[in-house]
Amino acid sequence: MNVKINEDWLATIIAFVLMILAMINLISPEWMKF
Amino acid sequence: MTTSAIKQEQKASPGVVNFLVGLAIVVVLAFLARWFKDQVYGVKDLFGMGIPGKVLEFPIWAALLGLIFNYVLKALKFYDYPKSGFRTELFLKIGLVMLGATISFKVIMTAAAGAIIQGVIMVAAVYMFSWWLGGKFGLPDTLRAVMSTAVSICGVSAAIAAAGSVLAKKEEITYVTALVIITALPLMVIAPLLAGAMNMPEPVAGAWFGGNVDTTAAVVGAGTIYGETAQQIASIVKQTQNVLIGVVAFLLAFYFTTVVEGKKEKPSAAIIWQRFPKFVLGFLLASLIFTLGWIDKDVAGKAIGGMKDWAFCLAFVCMGLELEVAGIKKMGWSPVIVYLIVTVFNTLLALAVSWLIFGWLFPASL
Repeated sequence: MNVKINEDWLATIIAFVLMILAMINLISPEWMKF
Repeated sequence: MTTSAIKQEQKASPGVVNFLVGLAIVVVLAFLARWFKDQVYGVKDLFGMGIPGKVLEFPIWAALLGLIFNYVLKALKFYDYPKSGFRTELFLKIGLVMLGATISFKVIMTAAAGAIIQGVIMVAAVYMFSWWLGGKFGLPDTLRAVMSTAVSICGVSAAIAAAGSVLAKKEEITYVTALVIITALPLMVIAPLLAGAMNMPEPVAGAWFGGNVDTTAAVVGAGTIYGETAQQIASIVKQTQNVLIGVVAFLLAFYFTTVVEGKKEKPSAAIIWQRFPKFVLGFLLASLIFTLGWIDKDVAGKAIGGMKDWAFCLAFVCMGLELEVAGIKKMGWSPVIVYLIVTVFNTLLALAVSWLIFGWLFPASL
């Protein structure tokens, strides 16, 4: 099956996954320091 | 499909390895950009010319490194292999959704009210002017439509949407895309400098960048260089403008099928939703979550802020990497002249409109 996902939705999903990981403290602010 | 055809297609379409190699190049360059920024950030006087190191924010380093490696990879004939990993739009959209998690919903609503008025004025005026001027210079209707949409709304994605509506040639899209990025890159640096020289308040400067710089990546870059509030307002204004892509794509499809081609069937209004930038919904949802207080500002907020900057840095590197100038030479200079005149018109009009709306009518209190 060939599922094509729109880039807008893909970006939104990636952003939310990362944000949720940060919210449950699985991503430390130290690692992401810019 | 025959086995040889399948093999050929597999050979032609980029695979996961190509993507990962491209991504690795982008990540390394983003780390380098951060390293350069760190080196000069604390310097009070660069080159003895009174320029503070803070001026050289990371979007400048990232785009510059992207441009240099664009040239290097092409010179080594290794550009096509990793280019599927150069994804300006994807990284930019991830960063924009995360930016939503740093802005209160009230600010978005206040700024969006002004941004809608500014967007409608700017898109209509700049589109009409560009269409009219293109006609005076004898540009084909399809090129005029793609160029006018790109310059009045949002560079690359608007150009692609318009091209779909008017069935423009592939060269016309490549051409306009190259023009957009070539103009936007210097504007990303010049606009904040001009705003600083004019002592513009950050919300007004942000609204100006959002209204006049052509690609969303360069708008965010200009805002980042000028300040945090400018970055937020610039992004809100630009995203509001981007929402209009669908409406313009629909109107263009309508005009070209009924007037230019003289057909009776009318395009479906579903195009408005098809072209709607869906990540804007993610941006709004992230802001709602932030406003409800679900994000701990000191821990998760800082991590999200850092990830947002990384995502933007990757996008700026890709912007430099994706610049393509070869197409411009093929089409001659008259479209370039039209594009530059319209850009000046766009810049001046956006300056007046953003002062009026964000300095006076809707002063966004951040």
